[in-house]
Amino acid sequence: MRIFENSNLSIIGSRRKGYIFSGILILISLISFAVNGLELGVDFKGGREFVIETSTVLDATAVRSALASVLSSDPEVKTYVVEGVDQLLVRTVGEEDIDVVKGQLIRGIADAFPGSEPVIEKTYVVSARFAKDLERGAIYSIIGSLLVIFVYVLIRFEWRFGVGAVTALFHDVLITLGVFSIFQGHIGFSLQIDQTIVAAFLSIVGYSLNDTVVVFDRIREYTGLFKSENYDTIINKSINNTLSRTIITSGTTLLVVVVLFIFGGEVLRGFAFALLIGILIGTYSSIFVASPIVLELRNRATKGR
Amino acid sequence: MKGNGFKIFLTVFFFALSGYYLYPTAQNYLIKSEISSLGDDEAATYRQDNYAKIRSVEEKALKLGLDLLGGMHVTLEVRVEALISELASDTDEAFFDILRVATTEVETSDESIINVFVREFERRDPNARLSRYFRNETAAITRRSSNEDVAAYLRTEADQAVTRAISIIRDRVDRYGVTEPSIQQQGTRRVIVELPGIDDPDRIRGLLKGTARLEFRLMVDPADNVRTLQRVIEFYETGVDSTAASTDSSLVAAADTTLDINDLLNSNQASGNVLLDVMQPFGQGVTFGRVAEQDTATVNRLMSDPRVVALFPRGVSFMYTSSAVGTTTEGHEVYDLLGVRDEIELTGDVITDARVDFEQFSNTPEVTMVMNSEGSRTWARLTGANVGSNVAIVLDGVVYSYPNVLQRITGGRSNITKLANQAEAQDIVTVLKSGALPAPVEIVQESTVGPSLGASSIRAGLYSVLVGLFFVALFMIMYYRTSGLIANLALILNLIFILGILAGFGATLTLPGIAGIVLTIGMAVDANVLIFERIREEQSTGKTLKASIEGGYAKALSAIFDSNITTFFVGVILYSFGIGPIQGFAVTLMAGILSSMFTAIVFTRIIMDYVVIEKKKSVSFG
Repeated sequence: MRIFENSNLSIIGSRRKGYIFSGILILISLISFAVNGLELGVDFKGGREFVIETSTVLDATAVRSALASVLSSDPEVKTYVVEGVDQLLVRTVGEEDIDVVKGQLIRGIADAFPGSEPVIEKTYVVSARFAKDLERGAIYSIIGSLLVIFVYVLIRFEWRFGVGAVTALFHDVLITLGVFSIFQGHIGFSLQIDQTIVAAFLSIVGYSLNDTVVVFDRIREYTGLFKSENYDTIINKSINNTLSRTIITSGTTLLVVVVLFIFGGEVLRGFAFALLIGILIGTYSSIFVASPIVLELRNRATKGR
Repeated sequence: MKGNGFKIFLTVFFFALSGYYLYPTAQNYLIKSEISSLGDDEAATYRQDNYAKIRSVEEKALKLGLDLLGGMHVTLEVRVEALISELASDTDEAFFDILRVATTEVETSDESIINVFVREFERRDPNARLSRYFRNETAAITRRSSNEDVAAYLRTEADQAVTRAISIIRDRVDRYGVTEPSIQQQGTRRVIVELPGIDDPDRIRGLLKGTARLEFRLMVDPADNVRTLQRVIEFYETGVDSTAASTDSSLVAAADTTLDINDLLNSNQASGNVLLDVMQPFGQGVTFGRVAEQDTATVNRLMSDPRVVALFPRGVSFMYTSSAVGTTTEGHEVYDLLGVRDEIELTGDVITDARVDFEQFSNTPEVTMVMNSEGSRTWARLTGANVGSNVAIVLDGVVYSYPNVLQRITGGRSNITKLANQAEAQDIVTVLKSGALPAPVEIVQESTVGPSLGASSIRAGLYSVLVGLFFVALFMIMYYRTSGLIANLALILNLIFILGILAGFGATLTLPGIAGIVLTIGMAVDANVLIFERIREEQSTGKTLKASIEGGYAKALSAIFDSNITTFFVGVILYSFGIGPIQGFAVTLMAGILSSMFTAIVFTRIIMDYVVIEKKKSVSFG
């Protein structure tokens, strides 16, 4: 079986369409940031998160209103089923003693829904101060990763490639965040930004870079091989000749990410979703963004001379 | 096949190494399943007979994270600012103001609070000496000590406080009895406590964060108590409260400002008074009022208004009782708010022993404490001078009991009585015996996962690994035929290596870690895809199979190397900034990159060479 064997698509020729497409996606993302913002999870905002198992099926809105009267603040409630067991996800903010809150939750649910037998299966508490530290850690790790990548590509290739790679990574993370911003609250699972999601973003960065570097490596090889060829042609050839590999690796990775999304459980759903979007965008960007930027930078340099 | 000797050696070596490190994990699994197949009694005997073996196997086996195993992961932070203010004497308004500024500033930075504190102090008055607050003969801090000396002294104290906190917390956890607890320092002032499979997180939480400051204090004069109650009620009656706007107090007629305390005591139905809405006034003896559990926060806020505090008798503040004195009609627990003197007469340092006892008649649990000679003398003097009054026994800011002194007590014994249950008594003994923490600690992060949720996460993770592996393997065979099969062998070897690396380095497998493995399955074939695509390209130029394989591997190498090394860096960074489960993800990511590079480049090459050169057979690349 072969796909994209000896493909000869004019990717460089149609790169302007790519720029427009990316531009539109980034614009939509930025608008969504301004309008919807991003929903931070317990890790970065501080607060409490509980998973409560119940023996009867409960309605999220009913639980929410029942709990709003016993808790000091309005909680966020989600319901789902794991291995046939009904579970509630409750998120609250506040500084009261955690034992008190747990008591209020159990009593609140047991009183409002007799026979529901609520049991707290998971408690996750992050103080506001610790959340700030985690947030700082997340920001450092993202900036650090991009910096290390830039320097590495700089050493192994040249600065234009470094700029191309990092621009493509920004592009990927920005658009994936945009998707999170657009869909939060409109989809059956949580899209809050927490540590797991940051880990997913860094994986996207690593993955997308992987694709980009493979193309760069080919460009480097062909630049030495076809000295008489036009740079446009070299890049186009490089992209085309690595295209089947790009598609296959994306395919197998997407495959396992879909598996993770379906079977990985509630905890990993947001993580898998981020990867799903990120891999699609990352594959696209390593073809239509990273290498074309290298070309633009080089064209500008030749024009200036 | 020539020249492949070293490659074969490496593969066999790593395989054997993984096997060596994974063997205890397999043993552990077998032992666990054997135990679960036995009856309760048999299982206990089996455990006893094989105790040493089980322990050593458990220690060496691949560790599961608490998100999979169930248990409690707590990050504690030693409050250095509280330590600073405790070490200081002759403090003034400026001192507390500087400390407040420093505390707020470190919230948004990584800097040590001591540095910020010293800097802020020097900024305000470059000529002032910190030693005026911290004179301490034993630490050789005199009036003449430089600010650097004081800062060094504070740093030493803070470091020691963290070290001591760790040993005290370990002692408490050991006394409580948790199997395989992990307690380690993180950064300069944090302690991570990991407790697998615990059944009562609430109790543990109390044990961990309790400073275990035991104090004996005198209590408010009953006449002062009633007067204060009346004044505070009047204050809220006239509607001057602006901070607590939960009920509209302006509706209350301002004319009727004189209140009869007896009227109030007889009617628990308060009307419009924000304090009486949440507290039932009491005013007898040392009891100020009664507050239901959910209203304590509101009452604390009302009682801490500076204008209200000004109404209190000098040197008196209010504390809750540790156990409920009753319940409301809705079933909420109610606590007494007691007037307690600020001056500490005696501290827990004098306690030499503590044990759980039972009250003779009612058989309720209590804690008996024994004091050293110095403590006994003070206790005798204190009780002798206060016959007929109450003495509060305060543990961590909560009044455990406040017995009325009947006579002078000699011999240095005292009791904390009327405890709710034996567990509570046991926990008090535990914290008293382990000693008081040198500085208060705060739980800044806590994650508790029940065992059934952990087990379902394991199943979900395992299922994802298997299904992911199946689909990727199927695809590789369909697309690359024979060579796909070889890549699949590499993939399985890769999984063994990853687990071996995790076990060998004593890393912990978490749910995000399993996700990392699943992701690795998808990405690990990438190196082989790169090689196989290259081989196809070589073949299309008309080269022989052998030459194509040679060329394919050689040419793909730089791309594989460059693309993987950067992802590896990302893993390193993620590991250094993440906590708990995320570090587990970073570790599997890094392990996956190393082992997939090895299996894809070295292992598949051995097989290819063997089939093509030794067996003279063809390998199909689809």
